[in-house]
Amino acid sequence: MAVLDKKKSKVSDKVPSSSMADIAFLLLIFFLVTTTFPKDKGLAIVLPEEGGEVQVSAQNILHIIIQPNGLVEVKRGDSQQVQVVAARDIEGIWRQDVSENDNLIAAVKTHPQAPYRFMVDVLDALHTAGAERISLQLFEG
Amino acid sequence: MPIKGGGFSRKSQASSDVPDSSMADIAFLLLIFFMVTTVFQKDRDRPIIWPEAEATQKIDEKLKNILNIWVQRDGSIFINDRPYAMGEVSSVVAPLYAASDRALVISIRSDREVQYNVIDLLQKQLVAAGVVRVVFATELEQRMQRERR
Repeated sequence: MAVLDKKKSKVSDKVPSSSMADIAFLLLIFFLVTTTFPKDKGLAIVLPEEGGEVQVSAQNILHIIIQPNGLVEVKRGDSQQVQVVAARDIEGIWRQDVSENDNLIAAVKTHPQAPYRFMVDVLDALHTAGAERISLQLFEG
Repeated sequence: MPIKGGGFSRKSQASSDVPDSSMADIAFLLLIFFMVTTVFQKDRDRPIIWPEAEATQKIDEKLKNILNIWVQRDGSIFINDRPYAMGEVSSVVAPLYAASDRALVISIRSDREVQYNVIDLLQKQLVAAGVVRVVFATELEQRMQRERR
């Protein structure tokens, strides 16, 4: 059977390269889908518009005065009574006071020489307590 | 005895297949081209120590609508890799805010030890530029960390 001997082997000795492009695209799409870029994160706040000053009843204001050493003085409305607390205690104070007065506004007054992080600590406590009416001011006097 | 095919028994050397071995090379070329040409951030990070906050939230805003204002420990201000004086901030931000169709969000990326009067002046500059949406950029603080403090 000389004719049978002439037939070549059907198995190719080459690495199949036609599917390589598919593999490359598969990898490309996989990485495209799984890549996430770090999102900006922080404490969002809306600043008042210029000239948009609103008169607020003194009873609805919770004065939070941040000292350069990080201690926080809390004054309610127009009473002269001062309570000195740590920044983290603001959370509980806000929760308690807002349950008594729905229209409460947190007036955060920071001493000009106080480090920024103390203001962030107080803002953090207010955000954690769910406060939305926050006014950021500079402490004068 | 006639020879089959008139003696031209050799087959054509030209292949009828589309060459596909180089397709992967093309794919990778495209991949590398797009990797190199894509720009994600306009400015480079400044060396600051981030303040930490437990209530840190992700800002749900498109990357192109966020403008970073960096405040370094010495109080110097950088916008888009360039230093600016405090008085210039308003005039720098205002045209960018107008160009963004009033959608711009300012991310104040300040060092934790910066004196607050710098931040207050910066806020006043932003209000003068008409920008109201501001984010104090912070790192997420774990509750464990806070309790240790």
